[in-house]
Amino acid sequence: MANAAFTLRKTGPFSHRFLVRKADLAVIADEVHGVIQKVAAGGPCPEEEFNALALRLAEAQLSHNPHLATFWKSAHNKPWNNWREIPPLPLEAFKHYEMTCLSPQARTNVFYSSGTTGQSRSRHWHCPDSLQLYRAAVKPWFAHHVLGNSVGPAPSARLFVSLTPPPDAAPHSSLVDMLDTVMKEWGLPESCFLGEVKQKGDWTLDLSKATGFLAGLAHAGQPVVLMGTAFNFVPWLDSLQERQMFIALPPGSRIMETGGYKGRSRAVPQTELHAALHQRLAVPYDGIIREYGMCELSSQAYDRIAFAPLTAPARFRFPPWVRVRILSPETGLDCPAGMPGLLCVYDLANVWSVMALQTADLAAHDETGFELLGRAAPAEPRGCSLMVTE
Amino acid sequence: MNLPNYFLVDLPPAASLSAELIREACQTLRKNRQTYLFHRDTAGMIRILAELGASWLDDQYPFRQAALEEGPETTGFSGPVLRQGLDAFFRQLTETNLRALVEQDLGHFERLDRLVSSEPERRNGIQAVATGPELLFHITAGNLPIPALMSMVLGLLTRSSQFVKCATGAAFIPRLFAHSLYELDPKLGACLEIAQWRGGASDWENLLLAEADCVTATGSDETIQALRRQMPPGTRFLAYGHRISFGFVCREELTPPGAKAWAAKAAHDIAAWDQLGCLSPHVIYVEREGRVSPEQWAEMLAAELARLEKTLPRGPAPLEAAAAIASRRAFYSLRAGASPDTRSWQSEGSTAWTVIYEADPRFQLSCLHRFIYVKGVEHLEEALQGVDALRGKVSTVGLAAGAHRLPELAQRLAMWGVNRVCPLGQMQQPPLTWRHDGRPALGDLVGWTQLEL
Repeated sequence: MANAAFTLRKTGPFSHRFLVRKADLAVIADEVHGVIQKVAAGGPCPEEEFNALALRLAEAQLSHNPHLATFWKSAHNKPWNNWREIPPLPLEAFKHYEMTCLSPQARTNVFYSSGTTGQSRSRHWHCPDSLQLYRAAVKPWFAHHVLGNSVGPAPSARLFVSLTPPPDAAPHSSLVDMLDTVMKEWGLPESCFLGEVKQKGDWTLDLSKATGFLAGLAHAGQPVVLMGTAFNFVPWLDSLQERQMFIALPPGSRIMETGGYKGRSRAVPQTELHAALHQRLAVPYDGIIREYGMCELSSQAYDRIAFAPLTAPARFRFPPWVRVRILSPETGLDCPAGMPGLLCVYDLANVWSVMALQTADLAAHDETGFELLGRAAPAEPRGCSLMVTE
Repeated sequence: MNLPNYFLVDLPPAASLSAELIREACQTLRKNRQTYLFHRDTAGMIRILAELGASWLDDQYPFRQAALEEGPETTGFSGPVLRQGLDAFFRQLTETNLRALVEQDLGHFERLDRLVSSEPERRNGIQAVATGPELLFHITAGNLPIPALMSMVLGLLTRSSQFVKCATGAAFIPRLFAHSLYELDPKLGACLEIAQWRGGASDWENLLLAEADCVTATGSDETIQALRRQMPPGTRFLAYGHRISFGFVCREELTPPGAKAWAAKAAHDIAAWDQLGCLSPHVIYVEREGRVSPEQWAEMLAAELARLEKTLPRGPAPLEAAAAIASRRAFYSLRAGASPDTRSWQSEGSTAWTVIYEADPRFQLSCLHRFIYVKGVEHLEEALQGVDALRGKVSTVGLAAGAHRLPELAQRLAMWGVNRVCPLGQMQQPPLTWRHDGRPALGDLVGWTQLEL
């Protein structure tokens, strides 16, 4: 005992603690990798396992991130025995504070939230280990829902077409990184990104090029996995409509659409967007999958499995290493099934950032998943429309 | 309360509104005005309005009872908030105040009746008479009912027939008011039409814009802009866009008893109409170096809001508003942990009230429903710099100031572009004569004919 105490003093309390914490997060990340692999092979993530990992991860993050520590301590509800006791951090925090456990030197990449010019954007820093975990988390749930691959054998290679810009043009987009990840894993060599980045950083799509390219694929009878954001699809669909054009994508083609407009195209109700996709591109409704993700998370939710019959209305589901709570904004308590509230996401794959997050999205859940119902007014105090018009 | 079918708003939901119905209503309004309204005089109109005001203050008045009993369900305000807000308005509706309004805006009590001269006009050999528009079209916002009532009162004073369009779900109180007028004087009621539909039903609105001689509109800046684009040339358009208000507390007032008294008054301004009006404060600036610090004052304000919640409870916040409050609370609790320049106080287990103290003087738009910012400043100039981005959009400043500082502060606010300065505690109770967004509300409605002798 005496020796151990002496060693501690000699190495200095700071460096010692630092080493221990580093190891903590890396060890937890390894365990999360294990959970992801298990899920990919069709296994569950039982509540006890999730709970134990979640509590350890939160403790480790707390010791790395003073802002997070203050936020969690201000709730005065420690010690935690259940993951539900961990107060979810509002996403706004990612805009104003460095919500990461990575030291500045360790940060090798950063994902920004998409935002219009002038708005502050969320920053989610990454290091090689965290990116590896992010990409590992992306794959099985994407394959399960978009490739319609019930767990087990690896899906066969597909032709992917993304309407977003490629990763070298948009290195700070978590969505683009995700699409690149799945393309590298399952994409045929002709898979490609059609979008571009304008000088101001806005994404753009050469509409006639996209039309020509996809019409060519349709002609060749090659099924395609078409992916993009809602604001990628809308102007393109508008242009097809203007030209009275239909592109009958070959059977087996599917579309992954991820929501959000943020003023970058006209906003279209989801049912209208899906109807247009169905009519213009001949993709059946059950081949149109919605994805819900954000730069602050490492895991994504999908609202259906491609071409699987739906027994109930489509609901978003996160992978088993993620848990969701819907909190009543009025009381801060969990909403009973069906009652709308703020969507909170507990993501074990967010090892080096924050594992408990409160989004500004309103949602209601039942045993099959959650549905999105809209968005709270921006929590960000500055930058309201009244001021923008000035 | 079962109301008879006098107005379009009384039609059962199944009977849908149509352009034809609206066109017919406009024709009837013009005809009825000619028959029942045009020849009345100001004294008579004022007597009726004052009688109506007195009735609405009577606890036995069925329309008041209906408003207070059914109001909480339909308007989203609690009974006590509704009672306080309606009483504040109807207490203003007296013969004295109405007379003062006519004299202030038109220079002579009988200006709307015949050719008359004010004192300066008499010296210049001028007589003049003012006439109101034949058909007034009011587009009213949905946040609180008083502006719609005030619009109707003004239109009655100018002897105009009126078509009032309420936002969906916001017609309850205006409708009761219209029926109360109909009951008191059916002929006057016949010169009024009231309907509700969702904004953006542009065919009907365009029809009314073409029919009306004058249009008043309260709403968001986008609504106003869209209307302005559609306005036929020659139609007078009085637009009341989005305005914001704030409070300012002088350091001399921050003695321990004074600070608490002003906090109680400020709490009333925040609680009135649940902070949803243009006259409700978003921010209260507090001068530093009083005996009570801005931060301590914020805590006093929190205590007063908590106390007020018991007697004047806030109505339930819609989901989106509650979500906005919850998100902001979480954000500020994080910021408070990171910096001593931010602190927050809030109701437990509900979003009923929230006080955020920040040292940063930059103006913040509140998410309302009793969510208030308190900010410490060195002096008024620092506060005005903080609000500079919203210059020209400030309606009211509620001042906590002694008599010796009031004139200088008010003068400075006037030069800066504030439309109304009042004591803190009266922000949501403007006098009947107030100049809405800096314009004479009655004076703007009329046209003039003058005779040169």
